[in-house]
Amino acid sequence: MRVIANLDICQGHARCEDLCPEVFSTDPIEGKVVVQVDEIPDDLIEKVRLTVRNCPEGALRLVKGNAQ
Amino acid sequence: MTLLWQPSPPDHVPSDHIVDFDFFDIPAGCTDPTEIWHNLVKQGVPPIFYTPHNGGHWVFLNYADVVEGYRNHELFSTYQTPIPPIEPFPIMQPQGIDPPDNKVFRLLLSPMFTPLAVRRMTEGLHARANHLIDTFEAKNHCDFVRDYAELFPTATFLELFGLGAERLPEFLALANTFFRSVDPAVRAQNVTDIYAVLDQLFREKNANPGTDIASTIVQGRDENGQQHKWDDILNCGFLLFVAGLDTVTNTMTYIWRYLATNPRARQHFISKMDDQQASLIALEELMRINAVSNLYRRVTKDCEFRGIQFKRNDRVILPNTVANRDNKIFENAMEIDLNRKVNNHVTFGVGPHRCIGSHLAKREILVSIQAWLTRIPDFHLDNGDVGAEAFGGAVMGFRSLKLRW
Ligand code: HEM
Ligand code: SF4
Repeated sequence: MRVIANLDICQGHARCEDLCPEVFSTDPIEGKVVVQVDEIPDDLIEKVRLTVRNCPEGALRLVKGNAQ
Repeated sequence: MTLLWQPSPPDHVPSDHIVDFDFFDIPAGCTDPTEIWHNLVKQGVPPIFYTPHNGGHWVFLNYADVVEGYRNHELFSTYQTPIPPIEPFPIMQPQGIDPPDNKVFRLLLSPMFTPLAVRRMTEGLHARANHLIDTFEAKNHCDFVRDYAELFPTATFLELFGLGAERLPEFLALANTFFRSVDPAVRAQNVTDIYAVLDQLFREKNANPGTDIASTIVQGRDENGQQHKWDDILNCGFLLFVAGLDTVTNTMTYIWRYLATNPRARQHFISKMDDQQASLIALEELMRINAVSNLYRRVTKDCEFRGIQFKRNDRVILPNTVANRDNKIFENAMEIDLNRKVNNHVTFGVGPHRCIGSHLAKREILVSIQAWLTRIPDFHLDNGDVGAEAFGGAVMGFRSLKLRW
């Protein structure tokens, strides 16, 4: 599984970074999400799923497959 | 002078959508100004309604409509929005500018307020919290608003702006008049005074720049490499003053009132002191429940929205406190759950104007909770005081909260 972030609608709330710093951080200019992990390890999938639901902008999606 | 942004008389409003509601009017004896908003929902008024008070404006009560009000800037603009309508009104940079032009100042400010930037401020915030607590800890009581919640964000503002701590009384006085005075003449003079202080400050930073926020704003360049317009620079400084002081003060005051009456909540924060994620989740729930700001929008064109006719220049209020307790969105919306799993509150707004200062605000509050609970783990309302001098409007709160330990 991997996470796709839509940077056009991300507004830098950083809820993702707060909830799951293992996978998400934010950039130092606009404070938008940076997905740091290409393939989400199995033991983090539930946490990432919950984090995706906590993005106030709906900017994150958890999808099957690896990063291209 | 021609007025360009005045709302129409409410002929277009269906009579069953008109409610008699004045959001500045807090009934005597009421100690929680958010209640006037929640009562609307209890009374079952339409989720989109119009009130003739304060120049006439709409109110959105559903979370989904509030979010649309934030996101759909083509229909709901932040340009020229004051309620009651006042013209001319300073255009706050970047809050009062619609996309895409809002980007210029938003990009100028955002690097100074990212989570990374705020992490670097944490030590200083801790020191400030402890320093303030030093001034009253041994007395075993304080007025939380006067002795802490007003001072903390104002002192932080001074430091960020590269101003000396000796100017705290001057800024406190300016802020207090700005946020509290109801006398139009006093208010007008106060705005003039604030702009004069900002003008002097930015001139000094222009001549002798440092690494502070005021210097960064004044050194910002537009796409042609020119300094931004002086008015825009002043209006950006003014916005930071307006946006970052009273909001934090009143949010803190609400939170401390809750903590004073909830030993289990205090215990929760104490037991999670070393668990950053759990602390942030609990803080986020306090932010959901204690949403002190009501945001304004102006309708950009005659249109139909959710089956209702709106006219160009109609004003709309987005009350976050109501949206945050919409039971269509939040499970057990009225309950405070410090472990809440999904919490997409709108306390800091959403969309293009999402609060730039949210990370700083949350850090100020969490650092304060932790410093306070480390030193004063048990405290209660003094003599059953539940807060006094409640006020409504764009930012809600109360002016005094006596605590004892
Ligand atoms: C608990 C405290 C705070 C609350 C509840 C709050 C709330 C908000 C909200 C709801 C907005 C959106 C405005 C809109 O959509 O029209 C906003 C914008 C803004 N806030 Fe805050 N705020 C807080 C603290 C701060 C602090 C500490 C700062 C700065 C140091 C700050 C700076 C700003 C700025 C610059 C904007 C405008 C952003 C833009 O238009 O792009 N806020 N705030
Ligand atoms: S929570 Fe959503 S909007 Fe906020 S930074 Fe993360 S992805 Fe972006």
